[in-house]
Amino acid sequence: MSEKLLSIDDLHVAFSTRRGMVEAVRGVTLSVEAGEMLGLVGESGSGKSVTGFATTRLLDAAGRVTGGKILFRGQDVTKLRGDDLRHLQGAAMSMIFQNPRAALNPIRAIGLQIADAILTHKRISKEAARAEALDLLRAVQIRDPETRVNAYPHELSGGMCQRVMIAIAISCNPALLIADEPTTGLDVTTQKVVMDLLADIAAARGMATVLITHDLGLAARYCRRIAVMERGRIVEEASPRTLFSAPQHAYTKRLVAASPTATSRIGDLVTEEERENYAAVISRPRHEPAYGTPPLLEVRKLAKRFDQGAAAVADFSMTMAGGEGVGLVGESGSGKSTTSRMICRLIDPSEGDIVFDGQSIGHVAARDFHRSPLRKDIQMVFQDPNESLNPRFTAFDCIAHPLMRLDGMRAGDALRQRVEECAERVGLPLDLLPRFPHQLSGGQKARVGIARAIACRPRLLVLDEPTAALDVSVQAVVLQLLDRLRRENDIALLFVSHDLNVVRMLCDRTIVLRNGGIVEQGESRALFDNPKTDYTRKLVEAIPHIETGPALAAGL
Amino acid sequence: MLSYILRRIVATLPVMAIVALFVFSLLYIAPGDPAVVIAGDQASPEDVERIRQSLGLDRPFLIQFGSWVWRILHGDLGTSIFTNLPVSTMIGQRVGPTLSLMIITLLLTIVIAVPLGVVAAWKAGSFVDRAIMAFAVFGFSLPVFVVGYVLAYVFALELEWLPVQGYTPLTQGFWPWLENLILPAIALGCVYIALIARITRATMLEVLQQDYIRTARAKGLGQGGILFVHALKNAAVPIVTVIGIGIALLIGGAVVTESVFAIPGLGRLTIDAILRRDYPVIQGIVLLFSFVYVLVNLMIDVIYTLVDPRIRY
Repeated sequence: MSEKLLSIDDLHVAFSTRRGMVEAVRGVTLSVEAGEMLGLVGESGSGKSVTGFATTRLLDAAGRVTGGKILFRGQDVTKLRGDDLRHLQGAAMSMIFQNPRAALNPIRAIGLQIADAILTHKRISKEAARAEALDLLRAVQIRDPETRVNAYPHELSGGMCQRVMIAIAISCNPALLIADEPTTGLDVTTQKVVMDLLADIAAARGMATVLITHDLGLAARYCRRIAVMERGRIVEEASPRTLFSAPQHAYTKRLVAASPTATSRIGDLVTEEERENYAAVISRPRHEPAYGTPPLLEVRKLAKRFDQGAAAVADFSMTMAGGEGVGLVGESGSGKSTTSRMICRLIDPSEGDIVFDGQSIGHVAARDFHRSPLRKDIQMVFQDPNESLNPRFTAFDCIAHPLMRLDGMRAGDALRQRVEECAERVGLPLDLLPRFPHQLSGGQKARVGIARAIACRPRLLVLDEPTAALDVSVQAVVLQLLDRLRRENDIALLFVSHDLNVVRMLCDRTIVLRNGGIVEQGESRALFDNPKTDYTRKLVEAIPHIETGPALAAGL
Repeated sequence: MLSYILRRIVATLPVMAIVALFVFSLLYIAPGDPAVVIAGDQASPEDVERIRQSLGLDRPFLIQFGSWVWRILHGDLGTSIFTNLPVSTMIGQRVGPTLSLMIITLLLTIVIAVPLGVVAAWKAGSFVDRAIMAFAVFGFSLPVFVVGYVLAYVFALELEWLPVQGYTPLTQGFWPWLENLILPAIALGCVYIALIARITRATMLEVLQQDYIRTARAKGLGQGGILFVHALKNAAVPIVTVIGIGIALLIGGAVVTESVFAIPGLGRLTIDAILRRDYPVIQGIVLLFSFVYVLVNLMIDVIYTLVDPRIRY
């Protein structure tokens, strides 16, 4: 065993808030060897990122290391000051972040941003730094680096921005790189390319890496050792194989179980108590529509062009029956969100028609559709529960608003009753109704978003990445909720997602989009098990898989 | 870029036309017969009639407006009723002092206010921050004439470091010119400094929260580089906007400041013209100020594109 590059000993980090000090990290002990890639896994609030920031000394002003040591090459990082600290940051130790576009200065050419890092630590001329920046862009496989060196972050894709971040991070050959959710928010295929690149670079340069992620599958694919964090502590540390086949800690078991795999079913993801009467619901036979029933939704040759540019969506046709689940998958820019917004009549299609329940609604202008009686029947759940709720509306207002606007209900007992009914339906405790969004957790906000969407008893629910911002354990519960709504209330679900494992579980059929056109469609399981096109195969292969042994299944 | 500037200049034409219409209507918005108003209390009916004739007030409104615009387009702003000098000549004589005062104030403000705001944001919540913000509130609350007289009393009368009043053109030497402008510029700039320091602080606080500032720290950049290279340029758009809006503030303030420090500029000319009901002069000055303001706004929009590569026209 080689010498420890980094060893964290009983680290405590606290944040001062209005309600006093809050401990985010409570006694983390961890070590990283030179050249190793360690996975640090946990859900939001587990303290995994805070541990990373404490190590690179990038904590917010409100955060403070209150105990323990962080030894990097035998030197206690927490005690470094001034120049000593600057020699460490970006030189011996560097970091890449979650949202690569936000992490780059929007008004500085990327070449300059790379050169900044080089010039801070090396005494070389600006020309030499620029040449090095070019070499780095080549190293992170950015095409046409001579042109791109002068580009600004908004001119690059998210994946390219993360490559630039990697270039900045490796510019001074650090011994340790801390990658905080480096691929969250990127497409699965981009995620694979970026992670492969990162792993190759780390291996080639002998750089140790700490991969902080909420995605167990991702950590399992790239790390030999994974540490699981929960509420500021490390609860388990093991190789991926051991972790998945024989998790020791109850939290790890839950986390492993909640991570969707290629074979899992929605019921497998949640624990016994969360499953409630779901098993009973799922075992009940589906209400099959009689033969010859017209489809609930029929979309004919839909197209959308923005300005004079190329079509964002072209020639898109589909049908949906009542109570059916249809998945819409594809990489970012494939047109899946545009399509879903046209169907829920938030934007106008350039061509084609949308027929809902026998009525043509494609020609109704999006800005007038709120007056249509069908507005109640088509509702949507948006991606980010944090951004899509009005911060000045309580949970109650949020759910009551569509009832008042679309169902014409007045404030009073009847309204209160309906809102409480919806809240119960989505499993939102009634005492949370007077709270504002910032007083709710991510999962609770997601439930408010769904309760609002189902308040007017719609027949079609359009969901745009509804679980992308949620932790896996919360995602599991939300997925179960959606599946129950579909089965019990016969609500059709149009599920837009880049997470193929989730789509496979929730949707009967899946449509794969690329560059605004349909590439492939069919029954979900068949489609993913035997993809007919290279594109679908690439999407399926890019998902990091967890190998779950039989022991795990038995254990639950 | 050039085509953008040209398009913007064309777009300002309707704005200027509306301003011109308003300025011209000043005479008619004021209550009473314009000729009587201009002639004053002691004028005989013959005087009033003479003025009416000479100004063409007996002709229909639109024709008067048309011929007025036509003359302006040829560079003729009319003739002062009081001095009988062409308005353009009168403005030309007075424009130097006002322009000098405004430029010095603008420079002084930027040099003082922006660093103050940056430091306040950097040290947010500390004693330094609170001291700077207290100073800003103080600067905001004091009227120009109070600051002006206090400054003149302390630095000119008591300490005798600087002249009390007056103006020396730049042609007679840089120092004599500057010496006369320092106190008026500080008096005029007080509110402006307070405003821009506050805006700089607020914008910088927001920018310093951004992810890319954390990236800059992760690279090991020094505090100065982070604040001035990475943060300030990102904060520049709102700051430049407020600096631009502030120029309107300066125009108003210049009128008072010039009275306090006896500077023979446009501000004094404005007051004199208003007191004498010298409408052609008032119209000329208002038109000029409007034009300057439109021009400043255009400049600000151009600066945006230089600061932020994401802004394209």
